[in-house]
Order: sequence, then C-alpha cells, then structure tokens
Amino acid sequence: MSPTRLLPRLAAAAAFLAFAAQAAPVRTERVEAELHAEKAAAVAGKPATVGLRLKHDEHWHTYWKNPGDSGLPTKIKWTLPEGWTAGAFQWPHPERLPFGPLVNYGYSGETMLLAELTPPANAKPGPVTITGDADWLVCSDVCIPEKASLRLEFAVAEGDPAPRSGETARFAKARASVPARTEGWKAESTMAGGLLTVRFVPPEGAVAPGKAFFFPDRESFIEPAAPQSLTRDGGGFRLAVKLAQPELKDIGTVAGVIVTEGAWPDLPGRKAVEIAAPLVASFPAPAAALPVPDAPAPAGSGGSLAAALAFAFLGGILLNLMPCVFPVLGIKVMGFVRHAHGDSRALWMQGVVFSAGVLVSFLVLAGLLLALRAGGAQLGWGFQLQSPAFVTLLAALFFLMALNLFGVFEWGGFAQSMTSNVSAQGRYADAFLAGVLATLVATPCTAPFMGAAVGFTLAQPAAISLAVFAMLGVGMALPVLALSLFPGALKRLPRPGPWMETFKQVMAFPLFATVVWLAWVLGAQAGNDAVMMLLAGLLLLALAAWIYGRWAHSESLLRFVFAGAIAAAGLWLAWPHGALAPGTAQASVPRAGEVPWQAWSPEKLAELRAAGTPVFVDFTAAWCVTCQVNKRVALNREEVVKAFADRGVVPLKADWTNHDPRITAALAELGRNALPVYAFYAPGAAQPKLLPEVLTASIVVDELSRLPAPKQAAVPATPKN
Amino acid sequence: MKTVRLVCAAAIAAAFVPAAFANAPAGSAAPAFTLTDLAGKAVKLADFKGKTVVLEWHNFGCPFVQKHYRSGNMQALQKKYGGEVVWLAVNSTNAGHQDYMKPEALTKTLTDFGAAPAKYLMDEPGAVGLAYGAKTTPHMYVIDGTGKVVYNGAIDDNRSANPADVKGAKNYVAVALEDMKAGKPVSTPSTTPYGCTIKYK
Repeated sequence: MSPTRLLPRLAAAAAFLAFAAQAAPVRTERVEAELHAEKAAAVAGKPATVGLRLKHDEHWHTYWKNPGDSGLPTKIKWTLPEGWTAGAFQWPHPERLPFGPLVNYGYSGETMLLAELTPPANAKPGPVTITGDADWLVCSDVCIPEKASLRLEFAVAEGDPAPRSGETARFAKARASVPARTEGWKAESTMAGGLLTVRFVPPEGAVAPGKAFFFPDRESFIEPAAPQSLTRDGGGFRLAVKLAQPELKDIGTVAGVIVTEGAWPDLPGRKAVEIAAPLVASFPAPAAALPVPDAPAPAGSGGSLAAALAFAFLGGILLNLMPCVFPVLGIKVMGFVRHAHGDSRALWMQGVVFSAGVLVSFLVLAGLLLALRAGGAQLGWGFQLQSPAFVTLLAALFFLMALNLFGVFEWGGFAQSMTSNVSAQGRYADAFLAGVLATLVATPCTAPFMGAAVGFTLAQPAAISLAVFAMLGVGMALPVLALSLFPGALKRLPRPGPWMETFKQVMAFPLFATVVWLAWVLGAQAGNDAVMMLLAGLLLLALAAWIYGRWAHSESLLRFVFAGAIAAAGLWLAWPHGALAPGTAQASVPRAGEVPWQAWSPEKLAELRAAGTPVFVDFTAAWCVTCQVNKRVALNREEVVKAFADRGVVPLKADWTNHDPRITAALAELGRNALPVYAFYAPGAAQPKLLPEVLTASIVVDELSRLPAPKQAAVPATPKN
Repeated sequence: MKTVRLVCAAAIAAAFVPAAFANAPAGSAAPAFTLTDLAGKAVKLADFKGKTVVLEWHNFGCPFVQKHYRSGNMQALQKKYGGEVVWLAVNSTNAGHQDYMKPEALTKTLTDFGAAPAKYLMDEPGAVGLAYGAKTTPHMYVIDGTGKVVYNGAIDDNRSANPADVKGAKNYVAVALEDMKAGKPVSTPSTTPYGCTIKYK
C-alpha cells in the first residue's frame, strides 16, 4: 500500500479515535487492525494484557515469529507513557500456509497477538494513551507490506479493574491459542543425516495426540515444506523432518511449538505446546506405541486398559482354535473323556489345575519377556522359539509324548495320567504340565485381537502388563475349564473302553505333525544340517524310549543306564550349534504362482516408499503358525498373486524366525510385538495400514484394489494441501 | 540401528518433498542451467565459467524488489560490480500470475529503472528457481569461477520493504564480492532470504 493511499485512512481513523473512548479498528488494504485491552485499566506496577488484533481479508495472511520459507513477522513499536514497559508478543500458534512448493508459517482469518504492558509502581491513576506502530507483511499470491499506527485510550486505576464485557472471552480465546507449557513431559532432539528428530514423551500414563506438527522458533533451521514423519514412542512420539541446508551449527536446544489436531491430555482445549528439546547424541530404543485416544484406532487395538484386557481375554479364547495349541488340547480333552464318567470333583479339579498351569506359565513367560526387555534385549512375543535350542528341546519333548501315546513306553513317576491307575497327585501334576505345555506351544500363534493387546501391554508398567498376560491365560484356559466344570457334553461320549487306546494312538499323529513343523522351523533357523542332526537325535531318543518301555518290568538298573545314555547321546547329537545369520535363513527363490517376496530391510522399505511404490510387508517367522496358515489360505492364492502384480505392489518379507532387533524395532513402531503383522504402505500415506492377523484372500485383494489401477511411473504425492 | 532408522526416516521424508524442489546451499556446486534472455537468446551458466556470477531472483511486482530498485540500491550494485562479475537476474514468476510480465514489458521497465544486469533470464515455469531452492524475491546467489555457490541468501540484513531502510543495512552480496576480490573466503556464506514468495506454478 502506498503512503498516499494510507494517509487518508489514518487521518480518518485518527479523527474517529478523537470521539472514541477506547480504540478503533484501523482498516488497511487487506487487514483490519485494532488494539484491545483485557481490562478497563491497568494497576500501577502490575502487568496488563493488551492484544493486537489482526483480521485478514479472505485468502490473505500475516506471519508468525518464524515466517517459514518467506514472509516477515509482524512487529510493533510501542509509544508508552513515562516509565511503562512492554513485553514481547505472546504469539498464538501458527498454521502451515502452503504456497506452491513453499510453506510459510502464519495466520489467516482473525488472530490476536498478546503483549503485557506494565505501568511503573508509582503510576498515578488517570487516563493514559498507548500508541502502537505496527507493521506486517500481508500476502495472498502477492505480498503487501502494511502498517498502522494504533491508539488505545487506557487508564491506570486503583484496586482491581473491572473486566470488560466482550474482551474477557476474546482474551480467553487468544490465550488458549498461545502454546502452553507442559509439566513432566520429556523433550529431546537429535540432528543426524540431514534430519532433525524431536522426541516428545509424556509422563507415565498420559498419551499424546496422534497427529502433531513441529514449528521451530528459528528460521532457516528445518525445511518448512518437508513433511514431518511421526512415529509413536510409548505414550509420546518422534517427529522427524529434513533440516535446511546448510545446517545451523549453533543449536543447543531445539525450541519451538508442537501443534496437534487433538487435545493434549493435561491441557484441555489446547492445541499447541511449547517445547525446548536439548540436543542429545541419540535416543533410547522406542517403546511400543500406546493407542492414541483421539486417533482412529488401528483394527483391534484397545484404547484403554479395559479394552486391552477384553481383547486379551478374547484372544486367549481364540488361541485354542489356533493350529499350535490344538494337538496339546486334544490330549487334555482325551484325559477328560477318561474321567467324564467318573468323579466329577476330580474332573473339575483337573480343569482348575490345568488353568493354573496355563496362567502360571503365561505369567512366567511374560515376566521373563519383560525382564529381558528391561535389560535392553529387543525381544517379542514368541521369542523363545527364536532359539534353535528351544525348538530342538520342544521337538524332542513332543516326540517323546507321541511315542508315549503310541504305548512305546510309560512315564515313570510324575505324569502318569495317561495310564488308568494313578494317584490324584500324578493326575494334577499332569494337568499342570499340560497347561504349561499348551502355553509354550501357544506362543508362536497370535490369535485375532491378541496382537494389539500384547503390543499395548509391553509399553505399560509391569503390573498392567502382567494383568493383560494373565487375562490372555484366563481366556485360553476357559474352554477346557468350562468342559471340566460342565462335563455334560463329554458324557455323550461312549464309556471308557478299548476305544480309548485307539483314540490315544490317534492323538499321537498331531504331535508327530508338530514335530515335523518344529523340524522345519529349525531348518529355517539353523539350516539343513541341523534338521539332519535333530532327526538322528530323535532316532536315538526313540531307541532309548523303546529300551525303557520294553524292559519296563525288569528290575535291572541296566535299563535306566542304557536308556539314559542313549537319550543323552540323542540330545547331544540333536543340539543345534548356532543359528544362521539373520537374513540368510530361508533363501527365498520365488516359485511360479507365488508372491515374489523380497527380503525386507528398513533401507529397502524407505527406498521403495521414496520412489512412491506401494509396499506390502509380511512380518513372519517359520515358527509362527498363523503366518504359515495365512500364507496358504490367502497370500499364495492366485487372485492375491495377481493383485500384487497388477497393482505393482512390492511384497517384502520381514523374517523374524531368528532374532533380529531391526524387525523387533519395526514392529514396535507399528505398535506390535507378536506375529503375524501385515503392513500395507500405500504411496504417499504417512502410516501403513495394518491388516488383520487372520487373513483371507479377499481382505488382501480388497486392500490392494484401493490403489489406482495399473502401475504407471508412480509419482509421490506432493502435499500441496 | 539408530543410523539405519534415521536414514530410513530421512528417505521417507525426502519422498514427500515436492520432487522438483532442491537446494543449492553455499559450498555446493551451482546447478547448471540454460535459460532464454529477454531477446530470446539461450544463456548457459557454463558460458561464464571462470567468472564470478551473481544470481538475483527478480519480480517487479514485489514490494521488496521495488524497495531495492526505487532506492537505486540494486542498480548501483549491478553497475559497481558489472565490470568484474556477471550479474544475472532471474524471473521465475509463472505465466498465470498477475505479477508475470512479458519480455517486452520487462525490457521497458528495466530501462525505466536504469537497471543493468548483464542478462535478464526468463525462468518460466520455475525449473531453475526450484533447482536452486530460491524462495523469495529478491534471493541472491554468488557463484565463484569454479562453479561453486559461495553465497546464498538475502540481499541485506534489514528485512523490510521500506526503501529508506536500504541506508545503513549491511549488504551481504557486496560483502561477499569484496571478500572474493580480497582473495578471502566469503565471511557470511548463508543468510535467510527475505521478500515475497516466488510465484512458482
């Protein structure tokens, strides 16, 4: 605006002011500006809040203290009575103002910049005149530097000045838009690889909003137009954004404002908080994400402890139907059949003891997991199956159990319930062990609802974590417990007789099947030779079991010596010697008619996403049975393979068969800690979409078909707003 | 682990930055370009190899550019250093914008103002501006004889649109050119440019 146009307006404004008691708005070419006072008068020696209100014409904006890519912050020069002092602007939080490829930070619509004016302690009561010479740059697709000389007829009063009607609400609104200070939150930042990452974590129990944007106080510090990638870290988050080049060298603490779309847990109604994040060398490993209250919850995730408990309970029940648990359950149910027609008290006691076995082993496993994680290990649910030694032991145990069911031998002392005449203690010990076993083999399976509950719980205090795991155990034990309490259904079965022996032998086959599966898991973990050694070891175990059973009635000690020595030799033979290096297991040569999986790595994923390529990540492990089932019934189906090809989706496989901390970390970022997890990254989407744990072909095809049809040279989405 | 994660995040972040928007920070090699001048003749950056080149992002519709032309500041610089450096004004305003001026109109206005850039280059629709990461008018770059950017930033340190504020301001371009003349490294190689947002498409 030229001075020739400005002057008549100012003159008119001044003329109007002569008749006004307070202040009057000044109209420039694109802005209406006015000074406001919150109260009718100031008190000597005490700060009084005033505000510079700027009302922009539609599509026009002025700038924040850091204007972003271009623009200038609004300034004011106060002319005050003798002895008065003025504080700096308290800037309301800015908004992003995209303009072509650039982004500025500022205000549109109406805003008010607050400042404190303090009269001297000896100020005499009476009217005073405050003048503020404000100038600002107002832009739409062109920019106009504007200025206005604003007057406020104010006063100094004794006692508490009255609030002014209309101004109280105006100032309350302005104050709410000024970034708040948060108590107890931890903020820190790192600068590395051309990237600023700000970590902002709330005190325990609080959860930050799911969307956030960082506005730095310093200009030329970050690229204002760069997207900010948010990852969750426990109840808080990390925001990563590209640094401006050249990087500022004198940063000690990253100061700025974080603006969110949701509300902050301890600051109702506030969208913005101030942060001062000291620069540190590195961050701790991120905690598993907590569900965000105001964000759309990912499928099956609980927003609260109650929801997590409910999901855990449901997941526990459904675990019984998962292929890992089924064989063990068969044995247990068979035990019930034997007793269904007998003493009902003994039956439900067994059910209770079985449940106790499940519960205790869930708690022990969870406790172990938490303790190891607290010690810094990057482990997840089902971690014990990442150990080839554990897999070998489990295979040996299952093998022996199957031989036992075949009648090759009978257990000696403690777990005799498979035979007809045993003591009550023996039966209980067996029931308890069955519970332990069921839990151990259940861990490689994730049931629906369970993934989110486990992911949620690992970021919680230990007590809550254990409660959720206990609930999982309760859920899993419930069907068996119910059967033992209400044996009516079992009573329909024939009375015990020779058929029991047949049934027992039949149940050996699922166990052998489990051994076959475990041998395959071991093969994926430790290679072909390890499988060979396992099978040879099992052969020796079979020999030992046969000797033990064949001469069961012999009094000779030789029976124990031979059987023991051969069993020990078998275990020694089978014992695996180290796993393969991560990523080398399962050299996957895609076969025709299968999804052409490529090996996942964070770099590969980043590279593909950078190129705007849609990516489907299968977090899987050989020991994850649900994963294998999904592969058969969904992922390798013809229509799914075709959908991957048609839509140009790159399938990546993150194989967690062996311990791999990168995968544990990637899962934590998705808020998960158990398998399977299917993450679909659509081009341009900030966050991946997680598909259900139990997949069907149509779920995958539907998801992929939301992509724009056939693949062109994929163009990354540009956030032009 | 941490580096991997950071690299990953950086790559993801980079994927979202509008593809064309790059940067030419001080110390980096100046992106090569070929543009047409007001007479329609092709001008290559490579034509001036061995010479110091000044790039001035320009738009007469911008009050900040007007500040430096109404005060005579920019023309004075162009004339003072015109003998030793190649001064190129670049206009990246898109043809659909109200500030866009055709070469004929620009020629006339430049003459009216007594402006003396060696060449005035049309960068419609803004590819060169985007390659340099030019953000405002004016946005100044100084490129040395080896093709390295030695200054990137504002014209001076008084961020106003008032022609009266030219007096007393520290002119970063003049300082850079004097440093180079004295055989010294440029003392202030980068500043935050100020002015109107460039009217990219």
